[in-house]
Amino acid sequence: MFVTDCRREFYDVIVSQRVLLLVASDVDALCACKILQALFQCDHVQYTLVPVSGWQELETAFLEHKDQFKYFVFINCGANVDLLEILQPEEDTYFFVCDSHRPINVVNVYNETQVKLLVKQGDDLDVPAYDDIFRDEEDEEELSEDESDGSEPSDKRRRFEEEVIERTARRRQRREWEARRREILFDYEQYEYHGTSSAMVMFDLAWIMSKDLNDMLWWAIVGLTDQWVQDKITQMKYVTDIGVLQRHVSRHNHRNEDEENSLSIDCMRIAFEYDLRLALYQHWSLYESLCNTSYTSANLKLWSVQGQKRLQEFLADMGLPLKQVKQKFNSMDMSLKENLREMIEESANKFGMKDLRVQTFSIHFGFKNKFLASDIVYATASLMESIEKEGPETTNFIKALDSLSRGNLDKLHQGLDLAKKQLCAIQQTVASCICTNLVISQGPFLYCSLMEGMPDVKLFSKPVSLCLLSKYLLKSFVCSTKNKRCKLLPLIMAAPMDVEQGTVIMVGIPPETESSDKKNFFGRAFEKAADSTNSRTLHNHFDMSIIELKTEDRSKFLDALISLLS
Amino acid sequence: AKMPVVHEHSERMKKFKNKGKDTAALRRQRVEVNIELRKAKKDEQILKRRSISIVSLEKSPSPAEEKNTVSIAPLSLEEIVEAVNGSNTSLQLQATQAARRILSRQKDPPLNQIIELGIIPRLVEFLSRTDNATLQFEAAWALTNIASGTSEHTRAVVEGGAIPAFISLLSSPHMHISEQSVWALGNIAGDGPLYRDALINCNVIPPLLALVSPVGFLRNITWTLSNLCRNKNPYPPLQAVRQLLPVITCLLEHKDKDIVSDSCWAVSYLTDGSNDRIQIVVDTGILPRLVELMGSPEMIIMTPALRAIGNVVTGTDEQTQAAIDAGVLPVLPLLLRHTKPAIQKEAAWALSNIAAGPCQQIQQLITCGLLQPLVELLDKGDFKAQKEAVWAVANLTTGGTVEQVVELVQSGVLKPLLNLLLAKDSKTILVILDSISNLFLAAEKLGETERLCLLVEELDGLEKIEALQTHDNNMVYRAALNIIEKYFSGEVRELLLLLI
Repeated sequence: MFVTDCRREFYDVIVSQRVLLLVASDVDALCACKILQALFQCDHVQYTLVPVSGWQELETAFLEHKDQFKYFVFINCGANVDLLEILQPEEDTYFFVCDSHRPINVVNVYNETQVKLLVKQGDDLDVPAYDDIFRDEEDEEELSEDESDGSEPSDKRRRFEEEVIERTARRRQRREWEARRREILFDYEQYEYHGTSSAMVMFDLAWIMSKDLNDMLWWAIVGLTDQWVQDKITQMKYVTDIGVLQRHVSRHNHRNEDEENSLSIDCMRIAFEYDLRLALYQHWSLYESLCNTSYTSANLKLWSVQGQKRLQEFLADMGLPLKQVKQKFNSMDMSLKENLREMIEESANKFGMKDLRVQTFSIHFGFKNKFLASDIVYATASLMESIEKEGPETTNFIKALDSLSRGNLDKLHQGLDLAKKQLCAIQQTVASCICTNLVISQGPFLYCSLMEGMPDVKLFSKPVSLCLLSKYLLKSFVCSTKNKRCKLLPLIMAAPMDVEQGTVIMVGIPPETESSDKKNFFGRAFEKAADSTNSRTLHNHFDMSIIELKTEDRSKFLDALISLLS
Repeated sequence: AKMPVVHEHSERMKKFKNKGKDTAALRRQRVEVNIELRKAKKDEQILKRRSISIVSLEKSPSPAEEKNTVSIAPLSLEEIVEAVNGSNTSLQLQATQAARRILSRQKDPPLNQIIELGIIPRLVEFLSRTDNATLQFEAAWALTNIASGTSEHTRAVVEGGAIPAFISLLSSPHMHISEQSVWALGNIAGDGPLYRDALINCNVIPPLLALVSPVGFLRNITWTLSNLCRNKNPYPPLQAVRQLLPVITCLLEHKDKDIVSDSCWAVSYLTDGSNDRIQIVVDTGILPRLVELMGSPEMIIMTPALRAIGNVVTGTDEQTQAAIDAGVLPVLPLLLRHTKPAIQKEAAWALSNIAAGPCQQIQQLITCGLLQPLVELLDKGDFKAQKEAVWAVANLTTGGTVEQVVELVQSGVLKPLLNLLLAKDSKTILVILDSISNLFLAAEKLGETERLCLLVEELDGLEKIEALQTHDNNMVYRAALNIIEKYFSGEVRELLLLLI
């Protein structure tokens, strides 16, 4: 069921309990987690945090803890499958689910006792009506009347009016109802998409309890920005939510200019910005940022010689000397930086890049640290999926979580460095995929498979990195191809996952169009294709459109997908 | 190449991959429970007196009714009485039909009110109107439905003189009328031994048996025949049973599963009695067929066949031997391992009765490999089935030879048996303690008492028996104490001696 009063039905309930927090591995989840942790700290709530990267870990974590805990909070996991079915909880166990995954499983929605969904009110959910998908048992009893169960025959029997006709009529009615139910559920479950960021939902909770702090607000901003960077929500939704957060920002950061000069070393200030969509540019050189930002790289077609030439022309048009552009942004001439945004935007317009400026937020820590929300997203995501092995599995998660705290600048910088490497790797992989024609049209979708032995291929065995790569590749491909039909196709991307086990990770993403609704049908399609071919697949990820697959089964799986979607 | 982890998980993942399917399966389980509840509810409803205002009668006709009666305006109860008692034949038919419609709607048929109209004798009269087959049929249907209610309702029909009228209608030239009469007589017979025997005394059986033919309404006939075999106190007259059995034996061979099911139920009623009643059934030679039907995949056949065979093995050793000779033992393991608790229980009950026989029969039971499923049932079966299995163990340890008891222990009976000492049911605990005593008696004969003591202790049995010394039930307490004192106090005494 949906929680209508987050404070009374959720927070007040768990505040006096021992709580198990199950947190998915994405930046929005981490941000939501930080907000909740801050609230818990302030109310001395006892909790245990368990990171979960997929369904397997979630199930294991639940089994391990179900005896000690009765209250479970799921962050960015759990909404889109029938939790009662897969976890089989005792009746006195309660699940609070704050998850942006859509569609929400209908059993979760209509369970009145154990599953409580924390969802932003006003989110468009389109849940089918109860009566359309569930039938009261009373209706069913009669229908299954003649189902044989071996009990003693009745000693007396009444003869009903037109018994047979009535019964077949009822049976037909039931069949029709079931067909309609299937159709309704099919429509409802067909597309995967994302709702309001979980960090924002948690921030709302803090706010209605008047416990919201500027730090929490920042985490909410980062959570939303993560959804935008990962392309999980529409532009429209992003702008709307930015508006919501902007009101909170001005409420929390209303100091006037004089006071800003007197900022102390440990104070922070959030500001709304109309800034450049250039990844990490304030911590990089402008040149490198231009080259490794998907938007500019795709639009300028930087993988080609002509593209490189266009970049030079673009820089010349702005009148920025190459030497300045290639040096660290921090060390660029102040005079150049002054009107930089305007200059870049003006030239970008001429080169067909009309959306280089975006609405976002920045944060100042103390005197000199300034970050854009997207900087934090890139850094945190990179830490989370770092492939440098150190310590137990949860190390990356903890590190990423820590980097979100103001006191951990070193971790954040470490993350920024990793993020730059990641963006470079993505860009290089995109370039090589396009130059060597690795993106193939399969009819209903585009397909690209990374080979073992390609540089950085290991990085892309991780879901978030692979998704990011897929999105960048598709953008670039759409800019590079002249085939109009291909421009409208979705993309499936595969990368080696575990060489020893012979598995690949596969992700499907929706078409890259201006008005994209960001809805993804690959989750269902993958399930069907796997079923029909008996492919050995593992649907472990919380996003249904990411699966693991036995390499040997790949071709029959793809064949099934093609015929399914044609 | 294998991919154990992924594959295994993908198997498990299917659980939520096909969510739709699984919720449906879940629901089916729930519905099954519900059917039982509903049946109970329905019976309750039948017993309940219905009081429905006349106003509510006129509205809410069933959808089918609406379709069929567009041309005829529904009659009020007053109009029905008037027309039925009147002399206008077409109005009589119209009114009888109206009454029949009210009585055959799905929800809350107003049986009492129709009876109170006093039209039953008149409806019975209509049964003999051979010139008007439609009227006969409508009246027969209406009376059938009245007779389907409580005993009181059935009595109203019988006292209206319906028995002879229906019996003579059995030989109506119109098949649908004789079928309706069979149905009505089934309802009357099903009311209890009194009306059953009233029917038998009115010689219902010969014309009924004459209707048994390859064409026609065999299902209804079989059901009515089974009702003539049904109920005790008293049992149906032996003469009637002898008349019915050959036909029922034939019907057991029919290919229609409902007919076979009802025939099996009939046999199960006939075997549910004293040994001489069982003997009549055994003498017909149908046991092999019953055993065969016990193995049927159809619940509606397997259940009554198992019931009937279960009844037979409650009889004499010879009767039990007849069942064994018919091949019951090889079929039982399947049923002991059946998913339905009711089947497990019934099968375990049969097994316990076979185990109560002479040691030759116990030996046959062992030879047919029944110890293993018995132990499994004790370990993991439904509780009601476990109780029966406990009885089987008790009977086997009582009547079996020392070798047979040893074989039982070697099959691993001790662990699940001792576990069941935690049951809440005192009777079961007593039976288990009794079995344990029997095991010790056998061990004593072999000089293996100490080994058995050790075995019981290793399996945490001593702990459980000791705990029973504080049991509320006096008999349980004494039985537990008895075992402890007899077999487990030696050590304690030695210990005490050491301490002194």
